[in-house]
Amino acid sequence: MNLFLSQISAIVWKDFVTELKTRELFSAMFIFALLVILIFIFSVNLSIVKASEVGPGILWVAFLFSGTIGLNRSFMLEKENGCLMGLLLAPADRTAIYFGKLISNFVFLTIMELFILPLFMIFFNIDLIEHLFPLLFVIFLGTLGFCALGTLLSSLASNLKTREIMLPILLYPLLVPVVIGVVRMTGQILAGEPLSEMMNWIGLTTSFDIIYIGVSIMTIDHILEE
Amino acid sequence: MMNPPALEENQAEGNILVWLTGFAFLAAMIGIFIYVPTERTEGVIQRIMYFHVPSAWLSFFAFFVVFICSILFLWKKDREWDIYAHASAGIGVVFCSLVLITGPIWARPIWGAWWVWDARLTSTLILWLIYVAYLMLRAQSSAGSMRARYAAVLGIVGFLNIPFIHFSVLWWRTFHPQPKVISNEGIGKGMDPSMLATLGVSLCAFTLLYFLLMGERVRQEKLKDEIDRLKREKLYSS
Repeated sequence: MNLFLSQISAIVWKDFVTELKTRELFSAMFIFALLVILIFIFSVNLSIVKASEVGPGILWVAFLFSGTIGLNRSFMLEKENGCLMGLLLAPADRTAIYFGKLISNFVFLTIMELFILPLFMIFFNIDLIEHLFPLLFVIFLGTLGFCALGTLLSSLASNLKTREIMLPILLYPLLVPVVIGVVRMTGQILAGEPLSEMMNWIGLTTSFDIIYIGVSIMTIDHILEE
Repeated sequence: MMNPPALEENQAEGNILVWLTGFAFLAAMIGIFIYVPTERTEGVIQRIMYFHVPSAWLSFFAFFVVFICSILFLWKKDREWDIYAHASAGIGVVFCSLVLITGPIWARPIWGAWWVWDARLTSTLILWLIYVAYLMLRAQSSAGSMRARYAAVLGIVGFLNIPFIHFSVLWWRTFHPQPKVISNEGIGKGMDPSMLATLGVSLCAFTLLYFLLMGERVRQEKLKDEIDRLKREKLYSS
């Protein structure tokens, strides 16, 4: 077990060191999310529609789109110079590679989301501070689900010829339940409802996270096989 | 060139199935267009239900077969299961498309709109997108073990998504007609017996059609494999 954890942390550490050195992934994700929000602000008329009604949807679309960039980058980086082959040759469990990638994707995306939230608050004039903890909980659940399935599918798509196109085509239809759930929950939280009012959505998203992490553990051996 | 014996045997079985399917469809057509009475409130357009519901059943059944064959493939690593999963996914997408086409034709006069974002319409559309992505994934990667493994993983992941889609869009919104055949009042209570019989015959016909198409698709894929093998042997061995 200890060995497994140290394998995971080695992969996460490697991703962080690379990112700290290049800083290309984080800045790209952040600016892209900002642009998505900006374009949506132009496409809806905020003087007619209430900001708290369209806000949650726009926020999550920005998270998902920029998250996809992160996922694409994550395994592309490994494909360059045969890094993935090195990882596979290392005496590490395939599941450890999956969890390492999952954790680094999750942390990058969460940090990016935490940077976007204040800007979202300013642009839409929505006070997030009073609902901060339920909101962070929902963001945690949604981001985990996105990364659980996204890491599995990006490891799969990275071996295809048209990987940047195929990842969203494979990922988005499968993510629809989570998207509906988190957008609903975010909307309800911004309307001031407590978390106990949305137990069905929390249950759905949590079981989505658990089942897809489980499926990934069972199938990752078949994907990372050369 | 001689035919492998297994293929010839399949052909004999296939012929019986062709006749059976033909008769079943003849019976279903007579039932749908002559025998069954016109529905009182909806009128003649209601007859499209006898195509709509069997297509939906067939596509769900086909996707279930993809799921089972994908699991079996990852377990046994036998090319046979990969062929079955591929063939079934193709048929499923075709009939899922038929569901998405016949639905709006019915909905336009009855609901007054081609499409509404109702739970079952939405979930069928998402399902269609998942399996189109599955077929695209297969088309994108070159033949071999990698394609089969990736497709199998997606076949499993996609089918496990169905309960999540179901509940999420159900809590989102719904106004599709409630199921009539298996309703709260008991099986078959919500419909006239003649309608139920017609629907039953139509369901049988579509199910037979599934097995017929499956047989043909599997035979095609096997012949393709055979051609590839012969090509490799004859072209590269000399």
